[in-house]
Amino acid sequence: MSATRVLIVAESGEVAPELHQALHPDEFSVRGVSAAQLSADLAPHQSPDMVLVSASLGLHELTHISRRFSENDSSPTIVVYPDGDFAALESCVRGGYDYVTPPFLPSLLRSRMTSCWERSRLTQTVQEMENLASLREYERELSIAHEIQSGFLPEELPTPAGWELATRFEPARQVAGDFYDVFELLNGRRLALLVADVCDKGVGAALFMALIRTLLRHTAEHTGNWNPVDSPPGSRPGGEPGAALPPMLSLGAGPLVQAVSSTNQYLARNHLRQGYFATLFFAVLDPGSGKLLYINGGHNPPVLARANGEHILLPPTGPAVGMLANSSYTLGHTSIGPGDTLFMYTDGVVEARGTDGRLFGSDRMLRVVTQPGHSAEKLLGLVDQAVAGHVAGAAQSDDITMMALRRSDD
Amino acid sequence: MSFSATMRLDDDVATIRLTGDLDARSAPEFNELVNEATGLQVNRMVLIMDELAYMSSAGLRCLVFAHQKMPPGRDLVLVGARPEVVETIKLTGFDRSVLIEQSTEA
Repeated sequence: MSATRVLIVAESGEVAPELHQALHPDEFSVRGVSAAQLSADLAPHQSPDMVLVSASLGLHELTHISRRFSENDSSPTIVVYPDGDFAALESCVRGGYDYVTPPFLPSLLRSRMTSCWERSRLTQTVQEMENLASLREYERELSIAHEIQSGFLPEELPTPAGWELATRFEPARQVAGDFYDVFELLNGRRLALLVADVCDKGVGAALFMALIRTLLRHTAEHTGNWNPVDSPPGSRPGGEPGAALPPMLSLGAGPLVQAVSSTNQYLARNHLRQGYFATLFFAVLDPGSGKLLYINGGHNPPVLARANGEHILLPPTGPAVGMLANSSYTLGHTSIGPGDTLFMYTDGVVEARGTDGRLFGSDRMLRVVTQPGHSAEKLLGLVDQAVAGHVAGAAQSDDITMMALRRSDD
Repeated sequence: MSFSATMRLDDDVATIRLTGDLDARSAPEFNELVNEATGLQVNRMVLIMDELAYMSSAGLRCLVFAHQKMPPGRDLVLVGARPEVVETIKLTGFDRSVLIEQSTEA
């Protein structure tokens, strides 16, 4: 076994002769250093096994030395010895340090040094185990949160005949503020599609995600068809000149408006002070005709990419949900033709940053999603690739959620 | 880009100058200043934003937070914000709650 490396720190750097003699060179390699030298340059002394410190340096200096070692990722056993000053030794011992006292006889000193060393290893091991245990507990809590949150996303995507649906959900952390949802309304005559982004990320955003998702879905599923008498104040129809039926009166408009405006009212009434809000795109599709009603609550405009390569954006029809007490939401409407794709996403896509700090940006996103002819799944794969190519290994800073809805070619 | 926020108080007006990126990482620093300013019951909060390079949704949340902490009828003024930052604010509809001014005051 190699010799135990002992560093002796005293005021002058001269090791007391009786101490030096007692540490047999076969078992201990000893170096002396002054406290001043040690604080000037820790590096050459970085990895002793044990450090013997003169008590006359005082408890304050001792704490300083001990901290310096741990800051340098070194954890030698620190032991105090009296340099003639037993009162100083007492104060260090009261401060929690282990010690050796004269007479420094080789076998006695070796025995004491060994037990000091073992005791300090034991303390360290216990400390490490405690840290590890609390880290594990924290990780377990987070993974439970992750599991529960996964349960707030749809298990499967109900996809009507003649349509394709694909989604991506890539949280930046274990839990996310983003979410998406797809569910049937009115006995399958309509399909609800939702992509939302709760501001902020991590656990706080995840709690609000659970609340907002529940309010939206529950309200939408439990609101029958539009009844003008129940019209919530502040919502108003977005008229379409020449249309047979105003969108406000079409099937599915009721659940949509009711879900968004009552969720906003609920949040404003109960949670305004917490400052959380969600931007969302909530649409109701008539799978037969391709007609789409939507509310865009302050969300990045989804892209409706036409089969011929052109595209339109579906900009906000009202503010983010939960931001203002008396927001009003207008219904938007459009129509998805054969071969058209509706691409919905959260800002994590366009605000993905490369290692140089540049954002992925809307232009790059548009170039990818307006390429006609791809399946919904393939299209999201292409966006994934383009974003991954742009960030080139930089850490993902925000949740990324995407949904593509494609109407098959006739 | 690193973030910094400095505050100046003149009578009952708090002026906070923002530099760099306001995102989830820098949000707590800004929130602290907002708390300090609203704790002093200022009448008007002015945010100088011409050097604010980027604002994420977490950053926007700080502004919403600041607005909610101001007593009703007091102004939150955003000065000189870059077009991309103004767009983020307008997109979410928060522009209805604040005053957006173009030029930096002398």
